[in-house]
Amino acid sequence: MSAVVEVEGLTRRFGSLAAVNDATFRVEQNQIYGLLGRNGAGKTTLMQLLTGQEFATAGSIRVFGENPVENAPVLQNTCFIKESQKYPEDFQPRHVFTSAAWFFPHWDADFAARLATEFRVPLTRKMKKLSRGQVSAVGVIVGLASRAPLTFFDEPYLGLDAVARQLFYDRLLEDFSEHPRSIILSTHLIDEVSNLLEHVLVIDEGRIIIDAPADDLRGSVTNVVGAASAVDAFIGTREVLHRDGIGGLASVTIGALSPAEQAAARTAGLELSPVSLQQLIIRRTSENTQTTENEMEKSA
Amino acid sequence: MSAVEARPRNRVLPVVRLHLANPWTTITFPWIVMLTILALTVLVWMLILANIPDPTDRMNAREGFGYSGSSGFIFVYMIVVAVQSINTMFPFAQGYGVTRRNFALGTGLYFVLLSAFYSVGLTVLSIIEDATGGWGVGGSLFSVGYFGDTPAQRLFVFFAILVLFFFSGSAIAAIYVRWKAFGITTFFIALGFVIVGLGALLTLVEGWDEVFSWFATTGLVGSFAWSLVVSALAAVGGYAVLRRVTPKN
Repeated sequence: MSAVVEVEGLTRRFGSLAAVNDATFRVEQNQIYGLLGRNGAGKTTLMQLLTGQEFATAGSIRVFGENPVENAPVLQNTCFIKESQKYPEDFQPRHVFTSAAWFFPHWDADFAARLATEFRVPLTRKMKKLSRGQVSAVGVIVGLASRAPLTFFDEPYLGLDAVARQLFYDRLLEDFSEHPRSIILSTHLIDEVSNLLEHVLVIDEGRIIIDAPADDLRGSVTNVVGAASAVDAFIGTREVLHRDGIGGLASVTIGALSPAEQAAARTAGLELSPVSLQQLIIRRTSENTQTTENEMEKSA
Repeated sequence: MSAVEARPRNRVLPVVRLHLANPWTTITFPWIVMLTILALTVLVWMLILANIPDPTDRMNAREGFGYSGSSGFIFVYMIVVAVQSINTMFPFAQGYGVTRRNFALGTGLYFVLLSAFYSVGLTVLSIIEDATGGWGVGGSLFSVGYFGDTPAQRLFVFFAILVLFFFSGSAIAAIYVRWKAFGITTFFIALGFVIVGLGALLTLVEGWDEVFSWFATTGLVGSFAWSLVVSALAAVGGYAVLRRVTPKN
């Protein structure tokens, strides 16, 4: 496999705050990456660095083998869709779609038109008169129809309803299988996209704390539920990622179990359940900061 | 996969097209307003003349028609166009993967083209104005003395004013997108100090006469030729500011 993005020791400071702190990772070609993390974790800054919009304080970035800053040949192969994308005052969606064709070499106008119908985007209304969801839909359509070899979606669906989000996931997967490309999707709605993702990058306080294939991650932890005493006896000295308890019951999140260990747990009268990607990430990113999972879910 | 395209494409002309993607704001609407202003002004002039019975008074009134400043609307409007083309178009173009350099080149080209377009239009109106004896009522909107005496002079003066407004407007907008309100406040305070300082200095060394005589000898066209230098400095300065901007929400 070849990498479309190679980042080494990348740091971006704003005064004393390191929005991105010594990040090192690669993005392999033609995979869908999830860039996950809490608000203010550094997701947007990282994507801005990769698209030459932000400037690195230290470290190196290679996109298609080159530094992306002010690099037209590299940047014409990228598309960056932001939740908060500003549109020119007088633009209507049709102006956005028409002009996109001038900038993205792989732009598919028919696909964009089809998507506009599906997402019910009015083509001839001013952008600033559209609903929040419709504005997001315009961004999503540009991101999909641009077919840029490296596409970034930064929280692309503020205000999109569940139907429109599902439509986005469906069209993304369909088009991805016909036109494979590298996609980096940043989102709070981790469970919704967890089946889409092939690789997960989790950033917390500027640091990459998880960089793993999604399948590996999903199998990497287990929830053990049962009588507190039985649970304690079973987990022994294992590292506990999270623990909840009500009365004499305990629910504990621990690392992966071998088939033999799983059998032993069941014999001990314990219930084993998989941990969703979202739960897993909440466990990992709230370790240092004592944040409750509620807060994370609220922000999602 | 979608093949990575290494072939360098021209990315300057698409930026010009991007600015013109919706021609309503920058082409159609300003002309509608300008022609409406013209029609209303001429109408008012006719009303005034119709209500002055005395021929001598009427002559005096016609003299007053020679200095209408309402054509200045276009220039002020173009400052707004310049500000918007940086403030909203720049972050938008960045999402399309346009480099700051190509954005600046394309935007500069767009400003020059738009200046040429409007200066030709205004000059044509000034020629019609001359030919119709000031729209039949001796009024002047476009052939006012301070725009020059001949169509060629006016063409140049219109062009120089527009270029100046576009590039200084966009340079100030670049300061805004980079440093927001703080940058703008600092810039205007600094500018205020420079202007007051220069004024004080000129008063102190009693240099005002020389300044006036410089303008007198340089002439209208010569002075506007110098404004092109100011415009060029604003263009270069604006790009220098924009080069390190990260689009923010």
